Amino acid sequence: MDAISLDPNVHVMESKDLDFYYGDSQALFGVSMKIPRNYVTALIGPSGCGKSTYLRCLNRMNDLIDRSRMVGSISFGGEEINDPALDVFRLRQKVGMVFQKYNPFPKSIYENVIYGLRIAGIKSKSILDETVERSLQRAALWDEVKDRLNGTALGLSGGQMQRLCIARAIANNPEVLLMDEPASALDPRSTARIEELITELRGKYTIVIVTHNMQQATRVSDFTGYFYEGVLKEHGTTEQIFTNPKEKHTEDYISGRFG
Amino acid sequence: MPAPPTADEAIGNEMFQTAPQVEKLAPFSAEDPKIIRTFQRAKRIDLMARWGISAGGILVIFCVVGMMVFIAAVGMPLFITPSVAKLSQFDRSLQEKILAVGVDEYLETGFSLDQRGVWSFYYMKDGKVFNQVTTKPVAKKNLQLHSIETYDNKIYSLLWADGSTTVTEVKFLPKFNEGVRTITHQINRIADFPAEQNQQVLQSFARISGEDDSKRVTLVRQLGNNKIQVIQQLVEEDLMGNTEEKNYSNDFQYPLEDPITVMTVDRLGNAVYAGTQTGQLLQWNISEPGEASLVGQVQAFENAMAITALAVVFGESSVAVGDEKGNLTVWFPGKIQKTGEPGPLKKVHIYDSYKNPIARLLPSTRNKSFTSLDEGGNIRLNHMTSERKLLDLSSAQPYRIFGFSTRDNGLVTLDDHNQISLWELDIPHPEVSWRTLFGEVWYEGYQEPEHIWQSSASTDDFEPKFSLTTLVFGSLKGTFYAMVFSIPLALFGAIYTSEFCKDTYRRYLKPGIEIMAAMPSVIIGFLIALWLAPIVEQYVISFFLSTLLIPLVTVFFLFVWQAIRENPWCKRIEGGYEFLLIVPVIIFGCWLSVVLQAPIERMLFNGNFQLWLYQETGMRYDQRNSIIIGYGLGFLVIPLIFTICDDALTNVPKSLKAASLSLGASRWQTLWRVVLPSASPGIFAAIIIGFGRAIGETMVVLMATGNTPIMDWSVFNGMRTLAANIAVELPEAPVDGTLYRILFLSGALLFLITFFLNTFAEVIRQRLRKSYGQF
Repeated sequence: MDAISLDPNVHVMESKDLDFYYGDSQALFGVSMKIPRNYVTALIGPSGCGKSTYLRCLNRMNDLIDRSRMVGSISFGGEEINDPALDVFRLRQKVGMVFQKYNPFPKSIYENVIYGLRIAGIKSKSILDETVERSLQRAALWDEVKDRLNGTALGLSGGQMQRLCIARAIANNPEVLLMDEPASALDPRSTARIEELITELRGKYTIVIVTHNMQQATRVSDFTGYFYEGVLKEHGTTEQIFTNPKEKHTEDYISGRFG
Repeated sequence: MPAPPTADEAIGNEMFQTAPQVEKLAPFSAEDPKIIRTFQRAKRIDLMARWGISAGGILVIFCVVGMMVFIAAVGMPLFITPSVAKLSQFDRSLQEKILAVGVDEYLETGFSLDQRGVWSFYYMKDGKVFNQVTTKPVAKKNLQLHSIETYDNKIYSLLWADGSTTVTEVKFLPKFNEGVRTITHQINRIADFPAEQNQQVLQSFARISGEDDSKRVTLVRQLGNNKIQVIQQLVEEDLMGNTEEKNYSNDFQYPLEDPITVMTVDRLGNAVYAGTQTGQLLQWNISEPGEASLVGQVQAFENAMAITALAVVFGESSVAVGDEKGNLTVWFPGKIQKTGEPGPLKKVHIYDSYKNPIARLLPSTRNKSFTSLDEGGNIRLNHMTSERKLLDLSSAQPYRIFGFSTRDNGLVTLDDHNQISLWELDIPHPEVSWRTLFGEVWYEGYQEPEHIWQSSASTDDFEPKFSLTTLVFGSLKGTFYAMVFSIPLALFGAIYTSEFCKDTYRRYLKPGIEIMAAMPSVIIGFLIALWLAPIVEQYVISFFLSTLLIPLVTVFFLFVWQAIRENPWCKRIEGGYEFLLIVPVIIFGCWLSVVLQAPIERMLFNGNFQLWLYQETGMRYDQRNSIIIGYGLGFLVIPLIFTICDDALTNVPKSLKAASLSLGASRWQTLWRVVLPSASPGIFAAIIIGFGRAIGETMVVLMATGNTPIMDWSVFNGMRTLAANIAVELPEAPVDGTLYRILFLSGALLFLITFFLNTFAEVIRQRLRKSYGQF
């Protein structure tokens, strides 16, 4: 993976005219967006603008919400995601997710990391051990926890737990990592470490990150999509969005006029 | 999911940020006395509420503890050690030898009988003699008494030196006159048996039984030459009022080489027991007038020790045996298994032995205890069944003679120095001990030690049997079957509503099931005992088939569904209507079990399952059995377990489920690996709370168990539970009687069981919560 060169024209996911409904209220309006492979794409916008909803559409996590409905198409590696016959469990293995609030299982650190492998039925001790070590190293947590892998994950600090959740997601060897405000519940130091980690993971995974923090978006992302009231107002490279937005609305938002 | 903000809100935010400082607009001052008063009032109410709530909480705890203390306080006197107190002692040195002593039931008037046949009555408090009555021998000569024999603490057989016998009764008649009690006494001469020529009489026993119009007087005499003579007088009154007296007499002999050392006769004069020099225990049946047959002969002691004392224990079937080495045992006939008739005498109870030969045994007239006196002058009181030693009197001056009051509440003793002592006895519950309550006890007439609960019967000499173990067993059995039925249903139901069912349906399903809990248990008991029990009796095979067939049919249906589910019509059903589809499948399973009952009964059970069950296994099919209880109690606890489980499962953080699902887990994998472990403290608590509810439930088990206190795990039998037993028996139990106290004790036991169960559950729950802690 490390050897893959970055090409902004290669897209791993693409949504076309995506509408989304919670019961009778529509949350997304015709969102079409291409997500470049192995780059970091940030989704920004004021609260309730639909950026998190869009993120959850990408691995069909919205299925869990009663009376929700998705119309339109999302392709992932040539496969249609919005298809009832799709094997969502395989999709979610390939499209991992990190949540706003760290949510390790009440199990040991070791069991947390290999949860996805257990689900997939992998039993080989050597594979599991290797996965744990590599995932934790990649999530920059190995040195801190290598001596207490069998200790409970709930004993870690907030930042460590969130990195454990990232390690857990990348243990599945996903192509895409969805991050829903991964640092919003953390203190500034931990936030810095998570941002550092995202930078390290760039080039290895396609990362889509929802963030409220515009500085964070500029620090970690290559591309940025700006959502407002369920509509993708503007999408481009982060540099272009933050220095030379095409839309007046985008400019108002990033300059802090509202949000 | 919050709705997207409207443009107005967004603009409002913007305005707020840019707005200048808001000016103070309070048109009131915090120092306004009105406002200060309001705050003070709020503070006062707050304080009062705090005190009120604390007081309420303390009161609740106090009530629970008080209840426990009260229940235990009623039960505790069962275990108080019997007390004996010496009320008075005085000297009765006479020239004549005293043969018997006694006292009235108020422990005021005592009496003694000396060798000349003179009854002396005296005040027990100081020993002052106030009356003397002389019983004359039959021959009207001046004779000395040879020996006396007594039973019921009031009938005395006086054997004179010439071999004649006089039967007398000592009677005390209390009279109440304006609150003052006076006691008068009578000596009634009941019967005379003159001496016969050339006959040496060693002992004589008189027994009187029957009412006035059909009275029987029996005299048994031990003669020399190992001979026993039985004389029976039958007085019968016919319809015309004419009395007819019939006399029978016969005698029988035991081989001379083994001399009879001691004899006794039961209270009714139906059986004669004798012990011999070589330790043979003999039993003759003399209930038919003029006939006597040796019905029992056993070697009481292997080393051929002489039997020195015998007594028939209250109930007329057990005999206490004392020997020359001081051993004390009780024997009774075991039941012959096939006919149910009494078999040969068996040694059943063994008591602490004395150092000296046993001189005398005297049965109680009220319960199955008996008093023993050894040659060393020690007196002991033992209860036959519980084997408790109730009393142990010994002093430097050996006791020689003793007698009880008619109510067994007083004991008079005479020692070697002619000191008469009066003892007040307080033995409220001689038959109760920890062993009789919880252990196996060998009751009179049983083949072996058993756990039995039987608190009453039609006869007076019946011995109550109080084994709490049978009741605890019954409670556990009923609860066990209820849990077997309810845990899977409630748990799977909760898993379905919390994890798989759509919220739309859950909103109706959960309250629907919770309404089950509002059903009065008497209605459930009524329904299952009178409606369900006969149905289950008729379709018992269908019942067992259904536990097998319904899952099978369901699994089969699921395979079929897998094959056709791609069909768009089926897709539409899958959107949450699956449970409607399973209803006809279950009905089909039930129908199939009913249809298959007859052929299976024919094939496997010769056409009649209940008969087959009895013939093959010896188990009876009771209509009110554990299956019924499983249903009834299960129905009661299902809503409880369901609700708590559902809450526990629903309370597992959504973020954990989301994490699991986002890693590619299916709903089932998520449930199994994340949700169930996290909810396990709650599920465990639910099961224990359900268990506690079931074990304490009264009405359903009272109505539908049949209340048979038997210890048998069979599903086809009923049981009697602690709770139902209290409900059944308490109305019949005399206040402060043994049964009453035992019922309170069983209540305390029930309280303790639920208390420990809940504490245990809480401890486990805290532990589980620690390891599967939520954050």
